[in-house]
Amino acid sequence: MSFTGKKLLIIGLVAIVLFVPPLVIEMGTATMNLLVLLFIFIILSQSWNLIGGYTGQINLGLAAFFGCGLLVTHFVWKAGIPIYFAVVAGGLAAVVLAVIIGLPTLRLKGAYFAIGTFALAEVCRIVVGNMFARMVKMPGSYAIDYNLIPRYYLGLIVAIITVAIVYLVTHSKVGLAMVAIRDDEQAAQVTGVNTFKYKVYALLTSSFLAGLAGGVYAFLRLSFHNITAVFSPIWTFEPLMAVIIGGAGTLSGPVIGSVFLVVLSEIFALTLGEAHLIIFGLLFILVVMFSPYGIIGSVGRIRQMMSRVGRST
Amino acid sequence: MLEISHIDVYYGDLQALWDVSLAIGDGEIVTLVGSNGAGKSTLMKTISGLLKVRAGYIDCDSIRLDRLSPHRIVELGISMVPEGRRLFPQMSVLENLEMGASIKPARRTRHNALTWIYDLFPILKERAKQMAGTLSGGEQQMLAIGRALMLQPKILLIDEMSSGLSPLLVQELCQVIQDINKVKKMTVFLVEQDVQLALSMAHRGYVIENGRIVDQGDAKLLLSNARIKEAYLGVGQENKAD
Amino acid sequence: MEIVFQSIANGILVGALYGLVALGLGLLMGVMKFLNIAHGTFIILGGYVSFWLFNLWGIDPFLSIPVVVIVMFFIGLVLYKLAFSPLLKLPTIGMRIDTSMLVTFGLIWVLDNVMTMLWTPDTRTIITTYTGETLKVFGTRFSITGLGGLSVAVLVALILYVVLSRTYFGKHIRAATQDAEAASLCGINVNRVYLFSSGIAIALAGVAGVVIVSTYSINASGGISWLLIAFVVMILAGEGNINAIIPAGVVFGLLEAGSVLVVGVPYRQAIALLVFIVVLIFKPQGLFAKKD
Repeated sequence: MSFTGKKLLIIGLVAIVLFVPPLVIEMGTATMNLLVLLFIFIILSQSWNLIGGYTGQINLGLAAFFGCGLLVTHFVWKAGIPIYFAVVAGGLAAVVLAVIIGLPTLRLKGAYFAIGTFALAEVCRIVVGNMFARMVKMPGSYAIDYNLIPRYYLGLIVAIITVAIVYLVTHSKVGLAMVAIRDDEQAAQVTGVNTFKYKVYALLTSSFLAGLAGGVYAFLRLSFHNITAVFSPIWTFEPLMAVIIGGAGTLSGPVIGSVFLVVLSEIFALTLGEAHLIIFGLLFILVVMFSPYGIIGSVGRIRQMMSRVGRST
Repeated sequence: MLEISHIDVYYGDLQALWDVSLAIGDGEIVTLVGSNGAGKSTLMKTISGLLKVRAGYIDCDSIRLDRLSPHRIVELGISMVPEGRRLFPQMSVLENLEMGASIKPARRTRHNALTWIYDLFPILKERAKQMAGTLSGGEQQMLAIGRALMLQPKILLIDEMSSGLSPLLVQELCQVIQDINKVKKMTVFLVEQDVQLALSMAHRGYVIENGRIVDQGDAKLLLSNARIKEAYLGVGQENKAD
Repeated sequence: MEIVFQSIANGILVGALYGLVALGLGLLMGVMKFLNIAHGTFIILGGYVSFWLFNLWGIDPFLSIPVVVIVMFFIGLVLYKLAFSPLLKLPTIGMRIDTSMLVTFGLIWVLDNVMTMLWTPDTRTIITTYTGETLKVFGTRFSITGLGGLSVAVLVALILYVVLSRTYFGKHIRAATQDAEAASLCGINVNRVYLFSSGIAIALAGVAGVVIVSTYSINASGGISWLLIAFVVMILAGEGNINAIIPAGVVFGLLEAGSVLVVGVPYRQAIALLVFIVVLIFKPQGLFAKKD
């Protein structure tokens, strides 16, 4: 379809637009910081999208994988290993965590899975809080060389890789199985699909991506006054929101949702303060109740309506 | 009198009933027979308000039923014994019966109703405190019928009474139904897979195939109808292979 | 040995509160198959109502409970009308649970931040003449507020039990819980059952909040931690098993108190949660599940 071709072209252009500016323009720390955060959100929301949007398993424990990736990346990098390897190490560590605590929870259905993952993330938060007397610091030498540009590119590259991974997974046989599980797990099982296996794939890939996001954040922030904050449920809930508002189970939905959230919270934070979260909450509820397919879905439906109108005239 | 007039019923986007019309007169026992999946239960669910019609209407003594929610239809004196009994498994026999008398007018007369049901089905009195989920199949069917009768309804709807029960028990239940119909002048509409059973019990019958009414008339005449015999009773020429 | 008795006492007191916290969540889940993730937020809201009644008009928190019940009951009715009843049209139970999770999750954001805007993020607590006082029985200390919480929990559980097993309304709730379609065929107005159940569930959350604000403290974003406890206790009790919720809460409270003896205070919640997760994986119907 020519539409997919156009889509790829646009994505390509956008990618170029994203790569070039930091090299030629002075973008300012606030903007750069914001963009890196945006990249992290895109990675996290795509991660949740895989397990929640495509496979239909509502995972409320994403923060554990994020925090785990962050911690491992931090210490690996501190030990002298280059940051890109450290970030990958973070991702892998998150996968290990997923194998240990995530796989058992996959035997649970629906609400129990949500509650179980939530509880596990809290366990992680408590354990980490007790292990690391709160503050986790980088030696001063790291702070001297601090430059936002490498962080920008790390974030951008990981985000692009993430979208590519999600694209490849969802357009493969695995992706079909995932959607089948989401739509009707019993029916899928009856037709011979090994639903457990595919849920495992989804969870492991999702945790890997979340771990990568944590690694990028570790690179961005260097030190943390209160390490338990990175295991806070906020790191699960905000990506979840971005996915639902943007459009769960689509490739561009989480990206749009993340942009939406980050941009809007910047605008609103200036004018409305706390109120912007209230508006997001209301928007989220409205989307869940009336447009479960999010912004992308609405666009799709409008396009459908338009083409129907076009045909009848 | 219960009148079902040219109704179309859908499950989502799938049509299940086409232009179905029936009439059930006061004090009659009327039956609808057909094979599995022909639409019998769909019709029952529609009458009791669990499904909505997309065309046509259902009328009972000049009151339109098809726009009402199930509990309102019960208030009009129409009670259903659902397919699969649908008892409340973690409530006792007595509590299940009480639930049959949930609407206010029935609550007032529930003691009399209870005596009546215990008379009809003494085993229920014996097992009054037992959890409904622990009863045998036959006892459960008796409880389901008893629960529906607690309303002392004008019209009793029965969906697949015979499934999973021994022929002896089914005969007993039929006798009970016929007695109630004679004594209390209760109108009965039952759908059944067991064509022989249903037509021998009823005054009039309808036959449904693939969501459409294909035959109707006096029950005894239908029973001796050659086509019915062949299609449902396995009598006469070779059975059509499915 | 004294320490063991003290731990048991603490475990029972805190566990009764945990059970109370879980009642509203369990009721809603059992009756309507709705998972109200904003349950913790309503607990906090109830705490705030009591807090302001105390600070503005000097009403003792335990005496404010009837007012809190009425206010929260109405909030529950509104919640049903606006947010829950549209979800009843969803075709499958799975979708209902998932969607109710998401909708109430959005509610957390709205309500938490409204409360923060209205009443600041400061931690609030109620200090009365008896706060911090303890009763000593055979060498074991029982905090007065803790005993108050225990009494409230037991009283509420008793009332709920009587309503569910002896009143028509309660039986209608049980019938609708076990088979909603069959219930409507018996003439029960299931939507009305759901409406009032929502009111009751939120009212229960409010009562828990009153006990929490007088025994501990509340702040606008504290709902999540109480939600987790409610989740855990609800699952330990088993789905739909309302009468087992207080006992299950006590079990969890004892578990936590026991962990303090073994691993010390910092990890006590972690141990308790881990045990919960093990139970969840091997016996998801709960510790008190009835066999069908």
